[in-house]
Amino acid sequence: MIGWLTEPFGEAIVARGLLELLLLGLLSGGLGCWLVVSGMSGATESLAHGMLPGLVVATLLGVPLLLGGAVGLLVAAVAIALVTRLPLTPDVATSIVITSLLGLGVLLGLSPSAPAGLGGLLFGDLLGVTDLDLALAAGLGAAVTGLLVVLHPRLLATGFDRFNARALGHSVFAVDVVLVVLLAAATLVAVQALGSLLVAAMLVGPAATARLVSSRVAPMMLLATVVSAGASVVGLLVSYHAGIAAGGAVVLALGGMFLVTLTARELTDGLRRRRIA
Amino acid sequence: MPGALDLPFFRDGLAEVLLLAVAAGVLGTWIVLRGLAFFAHAVSTATFPGLVVAEGVGFSAMLGGFGTAALVAGLVGIIASRRRTGADSVTALVLAVALAAGAVLASDVFGTGASVDRLLFGSLLLIDAADLRLAALAAILAVGGNLLWGRRWLADGFAGKGLGRSAPDIVLVVLIAIVAVASLAAVGALLATALLIAPAATTRLLTSRMRAWQLTTVALAAVEGTAGMWAAFEFDVPPGAAIAVIAGGTFALVALVRVAVLRTPRLAPAAGLLVLTAALLAGCGSGGSADRRPQVAATTTQLADMTAAIAGPDVRVHGILRRNSDPHEYEPRPSDVRAVADARAILTSGLGLDGWAADVVRASGAHAPVVDVGAAALATSGAGGDDPHWWLDPEVAIAGTRSVEAALIDVAPAHRAAIARRAQAYRARLVRLDAAIRACVDRVPAAERRIVTDHDAFGRFAQRYGIEVVGVVMPAATSRAQASAGDLASLERTIRRTGARAVFPEAGLNADLARRIATDTGADAQEVLHADRLGPQGSGAETYLGMLAADARAVVRGMSGGTVSCAVRP
Repeated sequence: MIGWLTEPFGEAIVARGLLELLLLGLLSGGLGCWLVVSGMSGATESLAHGMLPGLVVATLLGVPLLLGGAVGLLVAAVAIALVTRLPLTPDVATSIVITSLLGLGVLLGLSPSAPAGLGGLLFGDLLGVTDLDLALAAGLGAAVTGLLVVLHPRLLATGFDRFNARALGHSVFAVDVVLVVLLAAATLVAVQALGSLLVAAMLVGPAATARLVSSRVAPMMLLATVVSAGASVVGLLVSYHAGIAAGGAVVLALGGMFLVTLTARELTDGLRRRRIA
Repeated sequence: MPGALDLPFFRDGLAEVLLLAVAAGVLGTWIVLRGLAFFAHAVSTATFPGLVVAEGVGFSAMLGGFGTAALVAGLVGIIASRRRTGADSVTALVLAVALAAGAVLASDVFGTGASVDRLLFGSLLLIDAADLRLAALAAILAVGGNLLWGRRWLADGFAGKGLGRSAPDIVLVVLIAIVAVASLAAVGALLATALLIAPAATTRLLTSRMRAWQLTTVALAAVEGTAGMWAAFEFDVPPGAAIAVIAGGTFALVALVRVAVLRTPRLAPAAGLLVLTAALLAGCGSGGSADRRPQVAATTTQLADMTAAIAGPDVRVHGILRRNSDPHEYEPRPSDVRAVADARAILTSGLGLDGWAADVVRASGAHAPVVDVGAAALATSGAGGDDPHWWLDPEVAIAGTRSVEAALIDVAPAHRAAIARRAQAYRARLVRLDAAIRACVDRVPAAERRIVTDHDAFGRFAQRYGIEVVGVVMPAATSRAQASAGDLASLERTIRRTGARAVFPEAGLNADLARRIATDTGADAQEVLHADRLGPQGSGAETYLGMLAADARAVVRGMSGGTVSCAVRP
């Protein structure tokens, strides 16, 4: 049994994938919670999808994916900001931009003149991460965590009560901009491992799960980090023993943890209500 | 070449988008009004795993798609109504999980990796009579729901209410799921919002009166859908992507014009003219070429090259796959259908590699015979097995040239002698090449003849020349599967144990994994092999014979750690 659990991580290639996931998990623990609390889960999902044309163009031109992704994110963010100024609800505005960008990415990537294998950008390559990816994830994780610690009081003031924050003289807009920039950076690093379709799960999933248990920030962040580490280990174990795609298995594990936590929460809430009645 | 409207699949596609325009146009206005865009996106994406399961198990795709869509809609709805916050995180998470589940099911459980693109982004060749019926039903239901519950939806919309558990809201959610499923064939699971949301949001900028808004939305969706179908046909792209880009472009144009007109109202007529001109400019056609020689179509690049060499100037050969496309993951394009419609014979590589060729033949309505060159070659050469990469064994390929020769003579009997002569000469070159490869491989000590390839393609090559394939990076005959942690770890153990010196990435596929494994095990990953498709011009592997020679040179250099190299030439 112990061997069943430890054996996979003795393999260099699995251990490396786990390291990448743990580093990303640190990111999602801190940043993900603020994204979920500030109602930016939709934006997380959207930005990750919207960067696809940038990634495809980078692959076609042979420039680093990171650069292409950064430009793609910038275009997506500017487009969303512009469209939001029109008299439409933000979700509709975002949806239009993302659908067009995703369509464009597919046109470029799946057209007959594009080389085969661009489809891989959609689902990433967790087991193929390079030393550069790991270094980036570590560096970025440290930078984002540092920034979050410095900004903690501001985030705390605006994250939970946007209306009163404004009355207290805090700029909600500035905080949102900081969050979007951090989100873009995290998306960029995570996309190498998980692909543009699954990034959001790693950023939003652990935080959403943690929120079911606690709505206080510090425990929530801690729990989110634990959840992401747990899902990474479970996902890789399943991928190793059942022989299924690694990135997909991790995302399924994240979803499974959310579902289990939700069920447990509903059951305990039900018990408590009955006791009161 | 036949025009678009002569081909049955294009007429079906057009009818499909027009029906969808009614359904999506009417419902889209409600989605935009009620702020359900993200929800609609999640519900349509959620159909993806259902489609994969339905395709793998073999029941109705729509049933599968509707099942998972309804499940997700219900789940998100329940969570959203129970907890005041966090509905959007749940939606985002559900979306990602649905995509992951679909991808895992497709590549690992059912091995249908190739259809992932098609299910996510739509395919013009996928639309059949059942899709048309569903689209018609969706249109009727959407219009009916609109008449019965429109007032209630409108009142809730202006009151700014989210989704509740009232009957009208449940009807709205079910309708969204039905329309999302109906639009799958045309636009795919990931881009359903291109028809559901983009047209309604665009017309929202122009009018805010409900009836006018709905009518203009249906009209705009019909125009954008038609333009997208036409672009998909003309430029060989997935229709969902084309519709998404066209709808996004139209939205941007209308938004720009609106901003300009609001600033300077006198510009209104000029702006209208601008939009009209842009729309007219977008509708340009293209011409065709005349060639009186009989034409045959061949699926893979190496089969097309072999056929062209034997056909010479007497028969025109249309190769369906390009040098950069992968036969395993290939999705047929409308232009293939047009080429096949003109062909007098269709040569397929066979053995499951190009199973999509049957779809193409059916969609074109062609009556030309389909020749399975691979199956014929295996039967006459006596080679067994079901490995579809038969061309990597020259002896089987020689048997293959005989069925190519026979097919060409059937098409152009007047040139029988010339075709037979060229086929004979081609076989002689294959025999010489086979001998040269064997001589070269024999210079590597038998104990060192071990290779690791990218996907499971070189079994026949290895068997012929006494080489052992100790492992493959992608443990499947298709190049589209995703690697699992367990398979890669056991591959690394095998490489260390057997002392294999080289991992061979495949030209045109992602070499990251192969390089990673090489670095981990101390093997070399410098030499690149060509398995499923020819290399680009000037690579030395741009013909079938050149590809065989290049593979032999690379294998020998890699196995021997660079100590043996020989000049095998085609």
